[in-house]
Amino acid sequence: MKITGFGYLIKEGLKNVWNNRLMSIASICVLMSCLVLTGSAVLMSMNVDLMVKKAIAQNETRVFLDMDISRVEAVYVGRDIEALENVQSVKYLSKDDTIKEFKSYLGEDIFDHMKDDNPLPDVYKVTMVDLSKYNETVNEIEAIDGVDTISTRSGTAKKLTSVNNLVQILSICIIIALAVISLFIISNTLRATMHSRRFEISIMKSVGATNAFVRIPFVVEGMVIGLISAIVSTGALYFLYSGVVGIVLNIFKFTDPVAIESVIWYVLAIFVIAGITIGALSGFISIRKYLKKEGNEILGW
Amino acid sequence: MDKIIEFKNVSKTYPSGTHALNNVSLSIDKGEFVFIVGASGAGKSTFLKLIMHEESPSRGTINVNGIRVSTMKRRKVPYLRRNMGIVFQDFRLINKMNVYDNVAFAMRAIGTRPSVVKKRVPYILDLVGLTHKAKSFPSELSGGEQQRVSLARALVNNPEIIIADEPTGNIDPEMSFEIIELLSQINAQGTTIIVVTHEHDLVRHFNKRVMVIDKGKVVSDTKENIDETSPIEYTDEDFSFQAELNTETDENSHIANTDEEVDYQ
Repeated sequence: MKITGFGYLIKEGLKNVWNNRLMSIASICVLMSCLVLTGSAVLMSMNVDLMVKKAIAQNETRVFLDMDISRVEAVYVGRDIEALENVQSVKYLSKDDTIKEFKSYLGEDIFDHMKDDNPLPDVYKVTMVDLSKYNETVNEIEAIDGVDTISTRSGTAKKLTSVNNLVQILSICIIIALAVISLFIISNTLRATMHSRRFEISIMKSVGATNAFVRIPFVVEGMVIGLISAIVSTGALYFLYSGVVGIVLNIFKFTDPVAIESVIWYVLAIFVIAGITIGALSGFISIRKYLKKEGNEILGW
Repeated sequence: MDKIIEFKNVSKTYPSGTHALNNVSLSIDKGEFVFIVGASGAGKSTFLKLIMHEESPSRGTINVNGIRVSTMKRRKVPYLRRNMGIVFQDFRLINKMNVYDNVAFAMRAIGTRPSVVKKRVPYILDLVGLTHKAKSFPSELSGGEQQRVSLARALVNNPEIIIADEPTGNIDPEMSFEIIELLSQINAQGTTIIVVTHEHDLVRHFNKRVMVIDKGKVVSDTKENIDETSPIEYTDEDFSFQAELNTETDENSHIANTDEEVDYQ
C-alpha cells in the first residue's frame, strides 16, 4: 500500500466518527464503563496489596490478654513473654491506652455512647529477633496463661489476600463481560457506518482498491472511538477515585491509600492501549463480511 | 492484434443451479469496441462479472490483459481492476460528494498522490465536457451529465478496458447517443470498450462489433463493417430478445433471477 493515500484514509475514518456521532457516543459510553470498572478494580486491588505488604512489613505482633485479668497478672504475663528466647521487646498497652489509640484513629465521636465502658482487653506489642521462627514463637506465647488471642500478621495478610483474590476474580468476570459487550457495540456502530457507506465500498472495490485500503477508515474509526473512551475514562476514574478516597480518609484516618497521581499516567497508557486495541479489532471484525462480497452483493442487491 | 480478453470454453453455473454461461469461447482485441446485446438473464452480466473477476468460472479459462484471471489469487484482483473502468447503468455516484470528488474518489481509493489527482481530475472533466460542473452535486445534474461523471470516474485511472453495463439505460435517447459517441472517441485513443446494451438503435447507428448472447451462449458475433459508408443491417432475429424482454416466460424466469434488472433508487 502506498503511504501517500494514508492521510486520506485517516481523514475518512475521522469523518466517520463525526457522521455517526450518535452511535459513536453509545460506543464510547459502553467502552468507558468497561474501562472505568476495570480501572476501579485494579486500583482496589492495588490498595489491598499495599495493605498486605504493610501488614507483613510490620514486625509487631499484638497479644491480647484475657478480659478479666488483673493489672498484676498482666505484668506477670508480660514477663513470661519477655523471657522467651526469640522475643526482642515487649510493650504493654493497657485497656485505656488501647482505646486512646483507637480514638486517635477513628475520632472521639464514635466512642461517645460507650461512656466509661471499655470493651477492649490489655495488649502486649511484641517484636521478635528472628522472623523465621515466627510461628514457633507465636505458639509459645499462646501457651502462656492469661493470653487470649494473638493478632498475627499472617492472619491479617491472609484475610486481606482472600479479599484481594475475590476482588480480582469478580473484576476479571466483569471485565470480560464488558469487553465482549464493547466489542459487540463498536462492531455494530461500524456496521452502521459500513451500511451507509456500502456504495463507496463497492466503488472502491470496482476501481481496484486493495482490502487494506477499504479497511483502514473503519479500523481508524474504531481506534478513534477507543482513544476517546480511554481519555474520558481516565478523567472519570481520577475524579471517582479522588472522591472515594476523600470519603474513606474522613472515616478511617489511619488508612494510607495509593495516591492516584502516582498511577494516573500508567492508567492512561493502559486505557489507551486497551481502547485502541478493542476499537481496531471491532473494525477488523465488522469489515470482514464486506470484503468477501463483490459488486452488487455489497449493496445488498 | 493482441487479445485483451479471451474466453476458452467458459461455463458458469451458480450454486443455485442456474447455468448463466455455457461453453463460451471468444476473444476481444486490444483497442476494439464491442457491443454485447441480449435479453435479461441471457448471461451478459455474468460475462462482465467474469471479466472483472467478481465471479469465477465453473469451467474453462479466462485471460484478461495477459493474466489468467480464472485461477487468479484474491489479493491480486484489485490490481487487475485498476486496468478497467466500470460504467454502471445507475451511475453509482456518491450523492454527498461533488462531481470533482466523485471522480477524484476513484484515484484516492487506490492511493494516488494528491498532486497527481489535482492534475488528472480537471483534465478528465474537460474530456467529458463537465469542467463547469465540477462543484455541482449529482442531484443537480441531468441523467446524461451524471453518466458522464460516471464515465469520467471510469477513465480517470487511465484503464485499458472500459466496461459499460447498460450505460444508456437511465438516460434519454439523445443523451444515449452522446455517451456512446464519447466512448467512441475514447476508443479512438486505443482504449478497449465493452458496452452491454438493450438499445438496438444505438447498435445500428454505431458501426461496431456486436456480440449477441442468448441463454448463456454467444449466438452471433458480427465484426464491424470496414466500409463505414454502408453500416451493417441487423436482422430482426438479432434483436429478437427485445420482444422477449416484455414477455419473459416462466421457463426462463429462474435465469433472470441472477441477472435481473434492479430497481435502483
